[in-house]
Amino acid sequence: MTTIAVATVNIVLGLVYSCYGVMTILDLKHGWRERGFSHFGVAWIAMAFTCGPHHLAHGLHAASTGTNAGFLDVAAVLVGFPAGVAWFLLRVEALAGGRGDRFIKGTPTWLKAAAALGVVYAVAMAGAIAWTWRDGISFTPRMTPNVLLLFVYCVIGYYLLRTQLGNREPFGGWSVSGVALSAVFPTCGVMHVLFATYAASGQYHVDPIGLAIDWLAVPAAIYFVWVVRALHQGSFTDWNEGAEGVRPRWALA
Amino acid sequence: MSGVSVASGSTEFGLTETRWGRSPSSGDMLALRVVATARVVAAIAIAAVGSYRAESHGHQATLLLLIGLVGVPWATVVMLNSDSTDNRIARFGGPIGDVLALFAVQTLVPSAAETVLLGYLVVVAFTAYTAGRAFATLVVVGAVAAALGSNIITPRSTHLHMSAILPFLLAQVALFTLIDRTRLLQARATTTSARLQTRADTIVAHVADAVVVTDGAGAVLQCNAAAERVIGPAGSAAPLHCHDFLGLHRGERALDCSDGCALLRERIDGEFGLEVWRRTADGRRQPLLADAARVVGLDGRIEVIHSIRDISRIKQAEEAKTLFLATASHELKTPLTVITGFASTLIRYADLDRETRTDALQAIHARAQELTRIVERLLLSSRIEAGRLELNLEDVDVVPLILDRAQAFGAAMGRTVGTDIAPDLPHARANAHAVVTVIDHLIDNAAKYSPGGEPLVVRASGDAERVRIDVVDQGIGMDAEQAEHCFERFWQAEATDVRRFGGTGIGLYIVQSMVEAMGGTIGVESTKGSGSTFTVTLPTPSAARLAIPAQAATSPDVGESTSIREFMRQIGVPERNRR
Repeated sequence: MTTIAVATVNIVLGLVYSCYGVMTILDLKHGWRERGFSHFGVAWIAMAFTCGPHHLAHGLHAASTGTNAGFLDVAAVLVGFPAGVAWFLLRVEALAGGRGDRFIKGTPTWLKAAAALGVVYAVAMAGAIAWTWRDGISFTPRMTPNVLLLFVYCVIGYYLLRTQLGNREPFGGWSVSGVALSAVFPTCGVMHVLFATYAASGQYHVDPIGLAIDWLAVPAAIYFVWVVRALHQGSFTDWNEGAEGVRPRWALA
Repeated sequence: MSGVSVASGSTEFGLTETRWGRSPSSGDMLALRVVATARVVAAIAIAAVGSYRAESHGHQATLLLLIGLVGVPWATVVMLNSDSTDNRIARFGGPIGDVLALFAVQTLVPSAAETVLLGYLVVVAFTAYTAGRAFATLVVVGAVAAALGSNIITPRSTHLHMSAILPFLLAQVALFTLIDRTRLLQARATTTSARLQTRADTIVAHVADAVVVTDGAGAVLQCNAAAERVIGPAGSAAPLHCHDFLGLHRGERALDCSDGCALLRERIDGEFGLEVWRRTADGRRQPLLADAARVVGLDGRIEVIHSIRDISRIKQAEEAKTLFLATASHELKTPLTVITGFASTLIRYADLDRETRTDALQAIHARAQELTRIVERLLLSSRIEAGRLELNLEDVDVVPLILDRAQAFGAAMGRTVGTDIAPDLPHARANAHAVVTVIDHLIDNAAKYSPGGEPLVVRASGDAERVRIDVVDQGIGMDAEQAEHCFERFWQAEATDVRRFGGTGIGLYIVQSMVEAMGGTIGVESTKGSGSTFTVTLPTPSAARLAIPAQAATSPDVGESTSIREFMRQIGVPERNRR
């Protein structure tokens, strides 16, 4: 049962992230003439096309080999799933000319409860991982990219969460798009560390294709963090220059 | 302007370069970023190779993996700091890590020692180019020590031969000397050039006048921030001709730049600038004072520098001053004439009876009060114009204020001022004195333009967000154009109104300024011949509190239309303004 759940959810997430990569390519193509090249867009495309195939490969591998999927893997992927899909659907809505976001006024009780559950989830997950290691683990070096990705995704998650917390006061509430995105990256990190854990315990077999994808994901994620930091520092400008829909300057004269 | 660049944007001095202008040199930054990226890729490659070989090649590959695992975060940190040529981690930390990594690789994989020596040369070359001489010398010494040290601690059978070490040492010294010397000469030239450039750019960027540089054919190359303010945004994606960008006219004739700069042809030596004008995007005629001069560009080609000053305000001030003198003189003259007349009578006829004397003194008193009101309005207008109108806002019940002013005006003018006030009217967040001034001016205005004694009514209503005050008259009214301009300073519906109805033309300007200073709005609905309704809205205390976050949040319920922009918004990438 857990294998079916892991396979299904990973395949759906893989397709969602790959579609998201295609959607971003379309954005980049349409905006290129007006706004120029976007490091941010390319970095995000690179991440989408490593995240998507990673989930696809993991899901297909689990489905085809019938590997006994770990319960923690199910827990991680099911928590990340609604956030990833919510963000994707909002983007689809925006692509179709809709709003692309929803606003949560104030901090309702259910959101506070969700945040509290998130902390409980993180602590429980850390405890469960430690419990998995109780008999010692044979850490195979093939797990290296997963550990690196955990840290990089946590950095990205930190940037996102910091922005949401900073926006709460002036906006008087929360952006659904931002909250969903903030939840995606830490859960992605958790998925990678769980994958490493199960692989180290021998439960998961490492397939060469998945490993190659993960190794490609490392530079993609590092590139993304570099772009975000550089944009925060202002060392170059990207599509953050000017307002949405601004026309080329010569056309305004 | 040197050559053509595909880049466009703003320099640190706020000068906008068009697509066809020059872009600032960023060679050092590029070198830092390229090397930082290469370092990350190399570290990942080492970690990946270590990972793949660890199980089959044992201890040595595991150590290689460890180098990669330490190297990837370190190289990432250096890369993240490679956004400034002054960043110490990027300039110093990177090379130190490189030498240590190369030492480790050479020690662990002696068979790759000759390749590692080439790596040292790259590190030395890079350090000599990006860091100071002292640090580069340290890196050279460190690289030599690391290469020789590794040679000593590895098994003798794997030692490098002197035929490899000697050229390596010589190459290090030669490379260091060559790059250091080149860098020194380049630095001297760059410093001098940068000083001159900085000086010129600072002057151009900070002058209040628009400065537009074109090439000999009239294509706009560069303009300063003032040009974008005075003329509008210059282009970036296509060459823009000065005729299209500036569109200058002299008299009713457009200046023709097809045979070279018309300003250069028409300017008179010894005088600063020609009075010209251009049509703004909204169709307004913008008066300008423009001058032009030829300069030789950095590439030897002739360029034309246009200096343009917006003199709209000077012209407006001249017109306003003239109008003000006319209206103020007229307003002051009427009561002064009365005062002078009665005072002369009192002086000339000392034996006037008591009743006549009292009448004369009352007339003088009334006119003196009128003069005081006029002078107070003029002073208030000056304070507003100078930006010195500051109001302390508090919770104000406007009902007693309206009733009091309506009754006082009614008594003073001998006509009825009706009131229609909704029950349970909420308080307004306002200044009581300012509200009184606003009501006084509006009733006074309504009475003045209802010369036939038509009824005047003050209505008040409100909801949770605002209090609304309407002052309604059934007087002469205004047409649409007059209603549009009636809040402008010194404006009156007709030039003859000054004589027909009196007034300085600043009453409604004062009202609008005060209402806006309280966070409210004012508007007018009027029909020529049927009267006018002036509507003031003031925020309630709760609405005023909510106004601050509402301004901060533009539209929190709507995301960006593109995924890239939306992700940027959510990850907090700051918005940069285009210049």
